[in-house]
Amino acid sequence: MNHLPQGWGRPRDDVYGAYDASYLQNSGPNQHTQQPVVTGTSVVALKFKEGVVIAADNLASYGSLARFTDVKRLRTFADAAVVGFGGDVSDMQYLDRLLTSLDTEEAYGTTGHTLNAHNLHTYLSKVFYKRRSEFNPLWNQVLVAGVDQEKKPFLASADLLGTTFSAPSLATGFGAHLAQPILRTLAPDEEAAAGLSKEQAVEAIKECMKVLFYRDARSMDKYSIAVVTKDGIDLRENEKLEAQSWAFAEKIRGYGTQVN
Amino acid sequence: MFRNNYDNDSVTFSPQGRIFQVEYASEAVKQGSVVVGLVSKTHAVLVALKRNAEELSSYQKKIIAIDEHLGLSLAGLASDARVLSNFMKQQSLSSRLTYGRAIPLERLVSAIGDRAQTNTQHYGKRPYGVGLLVAGVDETGPHLFEFQPSGMTQEMSACAIGARSQMARTYLERNLEKFADSSREELITHGLKALKESLAQDKELTVENCSVGVVGVRAEGKAVIEAFKLFDGQDVKQWVDLVADGTEEVAEGENMEVDA
Amino acid sequence: MTSIGTGYDLTNSVFSPDGRNFQVEYAVKAVENGGTSIGIRCKDGVVLAVEKVITSKLLKPGANKRIATIDRHMGAVSSGLIPDGRHFVSRAREEAASWRKVYKTPITTSDLANRMGGYLQAYTLYSSVRPFGITAIVGGWDSERELPVDGQVGSGPSIGAGGKVEGKKYGGPGLYMIEPSGLYWGYYGAATGKGRQTAKAELEKLDLAAGKLSLEDGVKEAAKIIYIAHDDNKDKEFELEMTWISGLDGPTKGRHEEVPKDILEEAERLAKKALEGDDDEEEIKEEDKPAEGDKMEE
Repeated sequence: MNHLPQGWGRPRDDVYGAYDASYLQNSGPNQHTQQPVVTGTSVVALKFKEGVVIAADNLASYGSLARFTDVKRLRTFADAAVVGFGGDVSDMQYLDRLLTSLDTEEAYGTTGHTLNAHNLHTYLSKVFYKRRSEFNPLWNQVLVAGVDQEKKPFLASADLLGTTFSAPSLATGFGAHLAQPILRTLAPDEEAAAGLSKEQAVEAIKECMKVLFYRDARSMDKYSIAVVTKDGIDLRENEKLEAQSWAFAEKIRGYGTQVN
Repeated sequence: MFRNNYDNDSVTFSPQGRIFQVEYASEAVKQGSVVVGLVSKTHAVLVALKRNAEELSSYQKKIIAIDEHLGLSLAGLASDARVLSNFMKQQSLSSRLTYGRAIPLERLVSAIGDRAQTNTQHYGKRPYGVGLLVAGVDETGPHLFEFQPSGMTQEMSACAIGARSQMARTYLERNLEKFADSSREELITHGLKALKESLAQDKELTVENCSVGVVGVRAEGKAVIEAFKLFDGQDVKQWVDLVADGTEEVAEGENMEVDA
Repeated sequence: MTSIGTGYDLTNSVFSPDGRNFQVEYAVKAVENGGTSIGIRCKDGVVLAVEKVITSKLLKPGANKRIATIDRHMGAVSSGLIPDGRHFVSRAREEAASWRKVYKTPITTSDLANRMGGYLQAYTLYSSVRPFGITAIVGGWDSERELPVDGQVGSGPSIGAGGKVEGKKYGGPGLYMIEPSGLYWGYYGAATGKGRQTAKAELEKLDLAAGKLSLEDGVKEAAKIIYIAHDDNKDKEFELEMTWISGLDGPTKGRHEEVPKDILEEAERLAKKALEGDDDEEEIKEEDKPAEGDKMEE
């Protein structure tokens, strides 16, 4: 018998071979973020004639747990742009502070700052690309909404890989599957988006938020919505979904008390 | 020149609070041939007098293009100017890469100012022996900045530095009110006239010894600019002829018809 | 200064036999030649003002700002070597940013003054550098209410962060002046540069310690003081530049901003008017006593 207590209850060396102690060391290679932890779900946005409407709900999930219910995922950048964050919330906070310091630095100059939504999107995409090239990505997909140098509506996305994309309507996460088709029927191209009024665009975005709440289990019915034009930002952070109807769900297996 | 104990390095104050090494560096600027810069509401112009070391040698480059939207002219140690202009090119490029934005002039000029200041506060460094006039346009319109070896940078309506530049400055002061509303051609003509004031008695302006740099906004409020362009040799003939000795009396009059 | 020429004044960081650091004193001389800067700590904010002597007609009017923003809630102005002032400002901005990175909250005015005092003092310690040829005035507003942490996404607990003493007032205006030696004090009213003696005399008349002067009146007083302090060298033209920081409920909402054009012009008009009235009476003579506060051990 082995007299040493640390050997008791372990696989016998004469049967299984000596334990490879290197597995006990935790001085392996550095591991960076390999998955998001606390997450926000979809962000949806749509261009219209004078600007962009953007929205995201106020939920931060911890896996399937609805962990934080008052999380503001639309962040403003100095009256010039709104950034909507999907993905990891702590990385969003890091980026938000990064944008705050960028805003402060821009305001040093006597002419005030001149970064527009387009410049901001370029900057964010470079930050994302740099971090992913270091194998230490910021786990987000963001939508940048605002106006460009010519005061025309600007909307583009950037993600953890440094990928960029621009379209008259955009959505991240589940929204890319559920909201994007709705928005595309309304605004299939830039020309169609330029024909939309603010009211039409807001209406469409609200409809998308509702559909997302119906079908996305990591969403909630409180959300933030912002309208960005050349004149500034109108941000509302405590909106509630209106006129919900769950009638459609009666036909779906697993809803309510149904069993089959 | 008087010898004093306080002028051996740039980390020693004199009892009056002066730093002689920095003041001497400013003298190096006065050794360089004269350069003139001036701005209107739409354009920024640099004109420079080039020198050749001997009959058969080439003329020293006096104007350097930095980016599409700005350039500089130098008086003093050309190699110091090259160090600074390379730095400015890097900064300009990095702004375009990171933000997709032409760097604001004030920021770029402050950056070289800060660099130059460091050289006046640490032992083993020497102040830059060069003065610069930086001309360009950004989102807030055309600008002209003067840079001095002390690290001092100032935004000017018009300026001249280099050998015998006092005469050019007197011309600029006398005609200051005319510049703001001058056309592109008028502005260049004013620049050359100011330059001419500073010529040594036996010298005259020729296509060989004259450089002109022009940058401008194409139309007020337009995003597209007239990119910085350097004119040398036969390209400056049109303007040199205009200010040639015979025509001077006519052109000096109130109703200047330089546009042709 | 009797010890000039004995060799103890040629190098920074060297004491003379009677315990002085001459290079620091000479740096103060550079300050005394610069345009006048002042700061006034009012009950509901801070004003900074500077006399910008126009050295050339060719300077672009209204450009070339001398009062810089350190962080959103803080500004600085200096007299002396202008490039040294820019160095001061960029370091102060780095300090404010690094504070934010660590604590996720804006730096207080006193903490910034402390850090910059340390920075300037370090430039008196080595023969390989020279002291700063500036005296800087830093003004700021420390939030009187609980601020969200930088990057905060939710509302947090409704009782706030805690650690607050009931009934005690937090935050408020801050004004500090930092000298080339690294020495700094908090002030109700601070003045430096060429016209500092006159400006100080005027500041003392305001009874700032009573804490009654409002920010709006402070702006007018600041303009007046710069005009009076300038009066000594009438021949040179100057521009007045002013910035202010109010509380969260005031006109700047806790931010450091330029005083709006209309308010600035009104203050200048009143200043000129007050000056004309003064000229009829007796003129205020500037005492020409040696500068105080240029010794390091104070």
